[in-house]
Amino acid sequence: MTPKILVVEDEELMLKALQFRLGKEGYDVFIAKDGMQALKLISETQFDLVITDIMLPFVGGLEIVNKIKSDPETKDTPVIVLSAVGLEKTVMEAFQLGANDFITKPFNLSELSIRVRKNLRVPVTK
Amino acid sequence: MLTIYTYIQELFTERLPFVPSNVKASLFIILFCIIAFTELYIYIGTRRIKQWFEGKRNKKYKEIITNMLANIVVYDDDAESDEIIAHFTPEFKKLPLKNSAVREILIKELLHYHLNFTGKTADVLKGLYLQLKLNKYSKRKLNGRWETQIEGIREITQMWLKEEAETILKFTDDENSQVRMEAQASFVKLSMDNPFRFLDRARERILDWHQLILFEVITKTKNVEIPSFSPWLSSKNDTVIMLCLKLINHYQQLDAMPELIRLLQHANLHIRAKTINILGCIEAEMTEENLFEMYFDQPLEIKLEIIKAMGKIGSGNYLEFLTGRTYSENFKIRMEAMYSIKLHGITGIELLENIYKDTNMQNQVIIKHVLDERIVA
Repeated sequence: MTPKILVVEDEELMLKALQFRLGKEGYDVFIAKDGMQALKLISETQFDLVITDIMLPFVGGLEIVNKIKSDPETKDTPVIVLSAVGLEKTVMEAFQLGANDFITKPFNLSELSIRVRKNLRVPVTK
Repeated sequence: MLTIYTYIQELFTERLPFVPSNVKASLFIILFCIIAFTELYIYIGTRRIKQWFEGKRNKKYKEIITNMLANIVVYDDDAESDEIIAHFTPEFKKLPLKNSAVREILIKELLHYHLNFTGKTADVLKGLYLQLKLNKYSKRKLNGRWETQIEGIREITQMWLKEEAETILKFTDDENSQVRMEAQASFVKLSMDNPFRFLDRARERILDWHQLILFEVITKTKNVEIPSFSPWLSSKNDTVIMLCLKLINHYQQLDAMPELIRLLQHANLHIRAKTINILGCIEAEMTEENLFEMYFDQPLEIKLEIIKAMGKIGSGNYLEFLTGRTYSENFKIRMEAMYSIKLHGITGIELLENIYKDTNMQNQVIIKHVLDERIVA
């Protein structure tokens, strides 16, 4: 079965790039432009991986991580956090909430692909 | 039958000459207002229509450009950067790049992508930017108004056009502080051989908040070769000295010691204070004597810095001097002296406890406060 990946990113350009890239790699990519939309999708669909930005409108990335990891139904879903340079403290918070991995912007797309594969193969629980 | 035309004709030829002059004036004003408002509405209307069309066109091109750029990231992973650039360049050349709006959208999106990706994607984006000769337009912006100049500098910096460092250098001492700031930060990032050369020619003030930004850029940018900042401590520009003092402190450049000692005599109070602060931070014990000797001729601000520095150095050689300060008439001096004594560890704490026994009530309160473990100085 094709792994389902949710990408939460408010920057149109970035969202499209990730959608195209992951789509090309054969994943079933779902997108959300803000935290509210992401939470709605998470409640409706069982994802194999969630990639979320930290700074998002309405509901932040940390809250998404918290929601995923505190729900028994989704707690095993790996979460990769995207963050800008200088948000190291927030990344630590994300890890405390149960995030599995993080990528700092700017990043290498090949690195992202590797991390996605790694996280899809080895689901890490909180 | 009386048509509107004949009515107006009659009004002007037969009736108007006999109308009183005040009515004539009023009619003229009304007529003027009607024409002016009509013109205004036509102007606003056409402008809005134009903007709407432009917005629609920009949205369309933004969508096209975003999709084109997103296609780059899904292109064959094994392909070399040059191959990808060669593949996409003709496609991008089909865009109406002579149209400034479309060109600006492309530059903006390219920069945005470039800012978010590293590796091959970033190389390809830079390659495309150069192939499409967009660097020419970024450079042209340097001749524009100050806000356009800043835009140009940013584009050149974000695309890491290191070969343009020399062009940027001349803006590092621009009359406009915003341009100056942007250019200085840009030069640090782009200059390969000597990123701090701008400090030699900086005649204009480097504002405090600008110093913070420059400090951030210098300390956070990767691969910046950090020189010894002591030669700039002789600069005629006091703000250059201040910035270099902060950097000397950050990089703990002990080779700057002779220059730091010289700065203790600097005419600028802020420079003297900062120098003393740094001597304390780097625990320069050999300068304690200099600090002690200069203390008595200094204003309060400097005296306080000297006392603080002696506490940070904590050699114990000047505990007697610090004890003497606990009887100063100035409350701030007494307080800082006690904090400095405390920084001497067990010896300091014991000394404070001894002072406590013989001192006045106000000093006892200060000592209690200073020795309170819950309060961090």
